[in-house]
Amino acid sequence: MSLLELKSIVVRYGEIEAVDGVSLVVEAGEVVTLLGSNGAGKSTTLRAISGLAKPASGDILLEGQSIVGLRPEEIVRRGIAQVPEGRRVFPGLSVRENIMLGASNRRGLKKSEIRREADEMFDLFPDIRRFADALGWTLSGGQQQMVAVARGLMAKPRILLLDEPSLGLAPVIVQAVFAIIAEIRRRGTTVLLVEQNARMGLSVADRGYVLETGKLVLSGTPTQLWSNEEIRAAYLGGRAAVA
Amino acid sequence: MDLALQLLFTGIGIGSVYALVALGFVLIFRATNVVNFAQGEFSMLAAFLMVVFSVKVGLPYWLAFIVALMGMALLGAVFNLAVYYPLRHRTYLPVIISTIGASIFLANTTLAIHGPEPEVLSGWFDTPGFLLGPVYLDSQYLLIIAVTAILVALQYWFFEHTLLGKKLQATSQDKEMASLLGIPVATMIMVTFVYSAVIGGIAGILVAPVLFVSIGMGAAIALKAFAATIIGGFGDVTGAIIGGLALGVIETFGAAYISVPYKDGFAFLVLIAFLIFRPQGIFGERVAEKA
Repeated sequence: MSLLELKSIVVRYGEIEAVDGVSLVVEAGEVVTLLGSNGAGKSTTLRAISGLAKPASGDILLEGQSIVGLRPEEIVRRGIAQVPEGRRVFPGLSVRENIMLGASNRRGLKKSEIRREADEMFDLFPDIRRFADALGWTLSGGQQQMVAVARGLMAKPRILLLDEPSLGLAPVIVQAVFAIIAEIRRRGTTVLLVEQNARMGLSVADRGYVLETGKLVLSGTPTQLWSNEEIRAAYLGGRAAVA
Repeated sequence: MDLALQLLFTGIGIGSVYALVALGFVLIFRATNVVNFAQGEFSMLAAFLMVVFSVKVGLPYWLAFIVALMGMALLGAVFNLAVYYPLRHRTYLPVIISTIGASIFLANTTLAIHGPEPEVLSGWFDTPGFLLGPVYLDSQYLLIIAVTAILVALQYWFFEHTLLGKKLQATSQDKEMASLLGIPVATMIMVTFVYSAVIGGIAGILVAPVLFVSIGMGAAIALKAFAATIIGGFGDVTGAIIGGLALGVIETFGAAYISVPYKDGFAFLVLIAFLIFRPQGIFGERVAEKA
């Protein structure tokens, strides 16, 4: 049984089908990358998984159990944590508080335990350790991305959904963020990654899917995807190189 | 100088009431992005509940106080479910209209049940007050100031040092993100409404012995408290408290030194001045950054 399985998901915004019959699987321990240009339906797919968007039809299974229709609070309690697009760090809370709140889905933890775990998180993200007491809004985009990922990991998720972690970051910061994703993978956390930056997105992936105007057009290992001429031209060529 | 000290005491006393009601405004605004125009009715209803339990039923004062506040907690919960919750996915406008409707409903229901005549509620203490040097300290005003100080301190501790306080802050800053972390957003908003109804109620019961208990008292207090939140900077807790205190002091001094009939006018003069020259309020910048 797959850890996560999407079966012919359709998500509509009004009359528009943002996601039109997407099926994919993520196995335990894998890093799977969902590629596609702006508006292809990548973020909407993640929002459907985390419960922020309701699919009009189709099913989403976590270890064989349907999670469609559950509230986001319940879905994260079952082990799916999302680091959303735009990072969404709480601006008025400190970095440590932001990270601590990542454990809100786990019950019965003492505040002192959560605080200790949050401080241990800084071993994985040494760049933000010195900002532990700074308010969220004072950080740069790259630092906020680190906070957002650390906060996601605090949920101890069975699967971590990462939505465009490279968006709006300088190339050197993008490298740092992906080094962390590689480390997360090494530690055995399953990741479903959404990216426009195909080069970076595939560099850490076991498998990839390509989404185009709401439909899956291609899937395979990074090597297979690289070898596809159309895909190279559309996603791995000009635009991706700029990003 | 003696008169000024006396006025300062009275001003801070009445300003504390505005600050408490303003705090209710700010907390609900931060949790739901909507101004609750029924906040003043919470104060009015609590004062009437206090009259019912203390004067009509004859409970001891402290017990009547607790029962009235329990009633307010229940009202806050029902208010959330009936007035806010069904509209939570809509824009702010339907919700604001809904709170205005609730305000009219609460005031007129009280009128229908109780009738229009005002009630008198005695103060908490039998001693009306005492002289400290040149200043006469009214015992009810002392109580108002002390309770406000304690509530503000408790609230600071709660928001800064407890996990639940942090979850409430997170909910007020980004509801969708809070729900993605597993924070029960609906429960957090429920807690906010219950707490706002209770502190609005405390303000109403404390100020009742100073004013008459009347149907119109809620609207009168709420208008001042609303002005206080704008002066302080909308959505800012510290601003609401300082704005409330400042308004109380300004109107008390204005009444004493300039004109008694225009007492209410001074508060709104200050409000208009702020709207023209500093619409973001004293602590406005932080709100702008948050948006």
